[in-house]
Amino acid sequence: MELAVEARSLVKVYDGRIKALDGVDLKVEMGKVFALLGPNGAGKTTLMRILTTQLKPTSGEAFVFNFDVVHHGSEIRRIVSYIPQEMSVWTDISGYENLLIYAKIYGIDSGSREKAIEEVLRSMDMEGVKDNLVRTYSGGMVRRLEIACALLAKPKILFLDEPTIGLDPSARKAVWEKLTSFKKDFEATVFFNTHYMDEADLYSDEIAIINKGKLVKLGSSEELKHSVGGEVIVFGINGNDVGEDVLEAVRSSSLVKDVIFHNSELSVVVENAEIALPSIIDILKGKGVPAKKISMTKPTLDDVFLKYAGTRLDTIGRISEVTQVRRMIRRG
Amino acid sequence: MLVMIELELRRLKHDRTEIYSRAIQPILWIVVYGPIMGGVKAIPTGDIPYTDFITPGVLIQSTTFVSIFYGLTIVWERESGILKKLLVTPASRYATVIGRSMASGVRAIFQALIIVPVALLIGVKFVLNPLYFVSSLFIIFLASGGFAAISIFVASFMKTRERFMGIGQAIIMPLFFASNALYPVKIMPPLLQEFALVNPMSYVVDAVRSLMITGDLSNLPLDLVAIAIFDLVMFVIASISFRKIIE
Ligand SMILES: Nc1ncnc2c1ncn2[C@@H]1O[C@H](COP(=O)(O)OP(=O)(O)O)[C@@H](O)[C@H]1O
Ligand SMILES: [Mg+2]
Repeated sequence: MELAVEARSLVKVYDGRIKALDGVDLKVEMGKVFALLGPNGAGKTTLMRILTTQLKPTSGEAFVFNFDVVHHGSEIRRIVSYIPQEMSVWTDISGYENLLIYAKIYGIDSGSREKAIEEVLRSMDMEGVKDNLVRTYSGGMVRRLEIACALLAKPKILFLDEPTIGLDPSARKAVWEKLTSFKKDFEATVFFNTHYMDEADLYSDEIAIINKGKLVKLGSSEELKHSVGGEVIVFGINGNDVGEDVLEAVRSSSLVKDVIFHNSELSVVVENAEIALPSIIDILKGKGVPAKKISMTKPTLDDVFLKYAGTRLDTIGRISEVTQVRRMIRRG
Repeated sequence: MLVMIELELRRLKHDRTEIYSRAIQPILWIVVYGPIMGGVKAIPTGDIPYTDFITPGVLIQSTTFVSIFYGLTIVWERESGILKKLLVTPASRYATVIGRSMASGVRAIFQALIIVPVALLIGVKFVLNPLYFVSSLFIIFLASGGFAAISIFVASFMKTRERFMGIGQAIIMPLFFASNALYPVKIMPPLLQEFALVNPMSYVVDAVRSLMITGDLSNLPLDLVAIAIFDLVMFVIASISFRKIIE
């Protein structure tokens, strides 16, 4: 199988101080949809910008379709499309004009230009609004226009940095439907960054979890969930602290596979929740820890993340980023 | 490269308010300041009326404003993702920089085309030679490229638009007052005279003045060489700093 992306011990240090990537090793097979999942500041954007030849790595190597990102940038730029996290279309001209400008930038010759533009407009469902100023578009429409622009180049691989950030659920769904059908039609590889677990879960063939510049786990959504090893019981704990002795006591039970305490929640991984529950409750009672509420779930990617990164995917940074993107669109 | 010029024309087609509002200030110079200062005859401008003398200067000041603030567009494009995306297209990075700079020339020419009729209306006597006129527009176009390149350079270390606005003013006003735009160089204090000698705006004004007003082309070759050197140096600097804008 040919590799679409490969990274070897990739390190990126900004300004000699900020270690954004800390030794990333990665392989993405051609034709796959690959999700890089991680919280804000994990290094997702940095990795994508290195792969798309915008930044040079501090050390290590990276390849896109076997082209070295440092030495063969121009070959790579001919076969990739990239949609940044922020907006990448001009808001003071129409959607159609944006496509026309990008078609010329991509060097599509004048004979096939009209047809190519029509085609991407149709596949993104934007024929009705193509002559409106982009300023008047909704966030989801702007994203679809950007995807349309990216598709003009008929890329072998499409890089998307947080493609649905700031969109409401129905717009997110629409964007993903378009991306999925594009993928089918062109047999391209898709590499996307996200901090939405459900997106990684639903739309990717393969997921890498990144935290603090390191890839902490790699695999398909199923494999990742399986690696958590069973089911999860979450105890809501009154008060903020659970001593190490409690964790030790729970962990020592033969039914328990893993225990993590985070944010007043004690997550216990077990093979079978129904069977294990009574004995864990007994242990907690014995230690005098009152469980306020109990829930049982199949593992989610959030549990996977918790297991390998030691924290849940946070939402704080996300909200400020969303408002930032929104503000930018408004300011247009 | 040409596609960037096309982009600019399309933008202008949708929204021209900026060009109109930027024309107000130079028109005030020509309509109010020129006749008043001309009336007191304080500044020796040979046998051309004072308003005619300053018209090219004011024109260039205003087109330079347009080009310098063009950097704003680029700062904006950095805040949005457009620049990042442009970097990942097959287009050469140098072509992108030069194209962006040249696109500002388009704006500058439109600006000039608004001011010139007003000047005509109040009686400024232009050299009536279409070839001269078109040549002067061409020089404005070339010079704008260089000034836009300055602004790309400045934009490379300005993080926000607000800061850029202040810096833009701080660049243009000294260039304007320490040039031959409002008065002949020879009446300036010696120190300023030396500055005027290396001030690119002086050469641009001189070239446009000779083509539009005096018709005396004896200095034109020197002016053109100076403008060409200026453009070249600024394009190189801008291309280098372009990388920094991105990171
Ligand atoms: N241009 C930059 N200069 C300095 N530090 C940066 C720059 N870009 C990102 N960083 C820092 O690098 C880290 C990783 O950022 P980023 O790759 O944007 O993460 P993510 O996309 O996962 O949110 C963060 O700590 C961020 O502050
Ligand atoms: Mg990011």
